[in-house]
Parts: sequence; C-alpha cells; structure tokens
Amino acid sequence: MDTVKYLNDTIVRLEELLYHELSGCASWKVEFVGIDFIQSKNIQGKTLDEIVTKCIKEIKAEGLVKDISYLVGGKGVLLKLNIKNCIHLPKEARLKKNGVAPYICPITNMIIDQIIEKLKYETSYVAKLDIREDAGECTVFAAVYETPEKIGEVSDWTQYE
Amino acid sequence: MMDILEVLTSRKSIRRYKPDAVPDEMLDKILEAARWAPTGENYQPWRFIVIRDPETKKKIGALAKQGSGSRMTAWQCLGEMQKRFEEIKDPVKRAEVLRFMYSGEVSEFAKNAPVVIAVIGSLMEGSVDVPYDLSAACENILLEAHSLGLGACWVHGPVASSRDARRFKRILKIPEGMGEYKVIAYIAIGWPAEARKHPRPKKALEDIVYWEEFGRKERP
Repeated sequence: MDTVKYLNDTIVRLEELLYHELSGCASWKVEFVGIDFIQSKNIQGKTLDEIVTKCIKEIKAEGLVKDISYLVGGKGVLLKLNIKNCIHLPKEARLKKNGVAPYICPITNMIIDQIIEKLKYETSYVAKLDIREDAGECTVFAAVYETPEKIGEVSDWTQYE
Repeated sequence: MMDILEVLTSRKSIRRYKPDAVPDEMLDKILEAARWAPTGENYQPWRFIVIRDPETKKKIGALAKQGSGSRMTAWQCLGEMQKRFEEIKDPVKRAEVLRFMYSGEVSEFAKNAPVVIAVIGSLMEGSVDVPYDLSAACENILLEAHSLGLGACWVHGPVASSRDARRFKRILKIPEGMGEYKVIAYIAIGWPAEARKHPRPKKALEDIVYWEEFGRKERP
C-alpha cells in the first residue's frame, strides 16, 4: 500500500470539506496540522535561524521533503520557505485541480510551531502558498511576529516573489 | 408594532461606545433574545459569558487586535489590502485607513465596550448544529441590542485561528478540549458613540435571488 498517497488523499477530502464549511477562514484554523511530528523531536535553539535550520534537518531526515531553503526579510516579519519535492505536493496539485486553493502546509506549520514554542514568538500567519507542481516546488510566505509590536510593521514582500 | 424589517435595515455594526453602563434590565433582555434563537432539535447548545471586568475586556481587545493585525499586516505586505481599499481616492485618507486596519486597531474595541458577551457552544450534548445555532443567537443579540438603542458588533476574528481560540478560552477559563466547547464569537455592546454612514451598499435583490433553480433570475 502507498501510505503517502493514502494520507494525501485523506487530507484532500478533509481540506476540501473544511473549506466548503468555513470558506476562507478555514486556513486560519489549521495551524496545528502536522505539528506532532516536529514536537516529537527535541528541537533546541536560541535564534530563528537555529530553530528553522534544525527543523529542516529533521524534516529532511524523515524524507518529508527533498530540501527547504528559506529567507527572513520584511523587517524580520517575513519567513519565506521554498520547499522542494514535499510528500504532500500531490495533495496540493489535486486540490488545485479540484478548484480549492491549497491552504494546509504541514511542513510550514511544523517550523512555525517550533518558532512559537521554543523562541516564544507572539503569533504567526501563513499568508500565501504558491504551488508549482510541475517544478516540484512550493513557496510559502508566512508572517512571524516576535512581539506584539511587530504587528503592523509593513514592508513590500513582492520584492521577494 | 414596529416592523421587524425596520430593525433589520437600520442596524449597523457599532465599534465605538460611550462609557455609560448598559443597565441590567437591558442586558437581561438581550440575553433573553439570545435564548429564543432557533436551534436544531431544541438542543440549545449555547452558553453566554457576560464580561464587564475591565481587565478581561482589555485582554480580549488585545487578542482581537493581534488576530486581525497579524493577518492584515501580511496582506498589506503582499499588496492585497491596497487593492481592497483602492476606492478611497485620497492617498492620505487611504493610508490612515490601511494603518488602522493592519495595526489591528480596527478590532481592539472590546476593551472600550461596557459589555462583552462571549458566545460559546457545548459540543457534548449531541447537537449537530452548534455553529449555526450560535450564529442565530449572535444575530438575536445584535437585533435586540439595536432595538433597545444600543450599538453592538459581532467579532469572530480573534477566535478564528486555533491558537487564538485557545488563548481566548484561557482568558475566560473555558475548557480547552476540542470536543468540549466551541467559541464562535464575542459581541461588544454599549451606547453608540458613532453614527456610521448608513445604509452601506447592499447587493440588489435581482443580483442575489434565483427563482426555482440556481441562476434563474426571471420571476416565474
């Protein structure tokens, strides 16, 4: 049995259903999806770079993705992730084909969870998922707010697109 | 007898309040109205937490500000907010509005409301309609408050994300289990300190009503 395909097909049905029930705010409610894996690892670090790097190492070691590169920009609010050959990419492709913009990225959720849990960041928001299934890549734009005062610190993220 | 349509069409979301207290008898009428909302199989899963403590309202206001601000800051950075408000032609005014939005201040008003009612629902009683029942109760609260001359605003944003909903539950000591209580919204209530432009544009009936089947606009 292809357990990855089975998992992705199952998530597709749930992701479609949740969107159908809640419309756009479905994406706001799924931030815990996927975090159990990373919480089972002993991620430690004192800086954003340390946490993100160690999360990526664990995620790659388990074969969930082939690679992840990232940058921090936009006054430290933007965390941009480029994810290559994620095991969930077929899920995203099927959702797009079905007319639902994919909004659950377990990989991003894992990394943000550890930023919040280990560095005590105030909050976060996954703002944009750009899926390029033909290239086997996804790009994620997430906002990570170290303190409440960082909310409202705007900049132009289109320069990172 | 006042036509209910007059109540419905004159209601507005009010986010600025005078500091005057809402009398208990008015609050009781509002809660009574909520109690009479339609509810599937008469389960009445709702519970209402009435909040008047300034410190608690301040915490809720801060959470609401953070919830809205965290999303809108990102939307602003991606250029989405600018498109949403491009109908405001004056660049200074537009910048003011945008800052008010992405700072999250747009949602902070609970801290200044004399009363905040958290609307939550039990997920443990067998009801299959909890979100819909709670939404009907929220609407009844808004309408009764308006009919009494009060202003109110239904706010979902601060409990929309899973982490924020958990924080909201902790502020009010609501059990946190995902199978226990759903928090759907809070409603801020007080004497209006603003007269919003009204009516706000509404879609024409011919644009939203179909007859007999989807898409058929001609009345048979």
